[in-house]
Amino acid sequence: MDTDREAVGVSTPVDAEQAWRDLQRIRVPQERVYDEVERSASGSPRTTRTTAAIMWVFLVSMGLDLPKWGVWLALAVYLVALGTLARAHHRRSRVRLHHSRCDWRMLAGFVAGAVVTCATIVLSGRLVEPLEPMTGALIQATVSAAVFVLFTGPVSRWSTGALRGRNGRKTSEGAGR
Amino acid sequence: MSTPSGFDELIHPATRLSVVALLAATEWADFAFVRDSLSLSDSALSKQLHTLEEAGYLELRKEGAGRKRRTKVRLTDRGRAAFDGHVAALRAIVEGAGPPAAAGRSAPHHSTEAAR
Repeated sequence: MDTDREAVGVSTPVDAEQAWRDLQRIRVPQERVYDEVERSASGSPRTTRTTAAIMWVFLVSMGLDLPKWGVWLALAVYLVALGTLARAHHRRSRVRLHHSRCDWRMLAGFVAGAVVTCATIVLSGRLVEPLEPMTGALIQATVSAAVFVLFTGPVSRWSTGALRGRNGRKTSEGAGR
Repeated sequence: MSTPSGFDELIHPATRLSVVALLAATEWADFAFVRDSLSLSDSALSKQLHTLEEAGYLELRKEGAGRKRRTKVRLTDRGRAAFDGHVAALRAIVEGAGPPAAAGRSAPHHSTEAAR
């Protein structure tokens, strides 16, 4: 039937049934996009672990008694490493979701991740203050990296989880009326 | 019943509709991703993409070199507007038919003008 439609091309008449089927057909490829985005968000533990490992190294280096230039150098190396990781992740991506499909949950997930991770770093830093600097930095880095790993997966799944329902509804709204 | 405005005859064929629908959800997509998602051959997809590119509905961009070479496909603003208009036209046709046509039961038939 589809082949017939392709052959007939521009002069194909469209009745309500055909229009309904077309609206349903639109959903299928878009589901593939949401599958890929979800898979990318929740199925890349290697990227999450690498990010956590880089953060761990950076936080431990802060426990060393570095001079001011050393702190700046460590920060620069940390940011370059994160940028390289982001670029590698971007190169591996097969698709990028259109901004019109993003919603507040994605922004909220990102902000919540940043807030929780930063809060953990600050709080654990306070708690380990009485300890020896290196021991304290090791504990702080390990706790912060662990929180990051534990938090990232569920938040990514939560932020992309609503894509399918929301955008699926949007497509079928008219058809379902 | 006349075809509603916004109905896009270039997008209407099933394969092109699927391609544009997929791209409408993305900023860009890898050629291989589109091909695999729609179960098309390289040549079949290329043909459809070039038709849409000639109409100014999408852009093809090649990146990298050698084995890492990849083609990214992006819907242009014009293509996105055409897709939105086409979806609106399809909705208008369904709404014009009256009661909803749920999956599993057939939608009400309405005669349409055959533009043959």
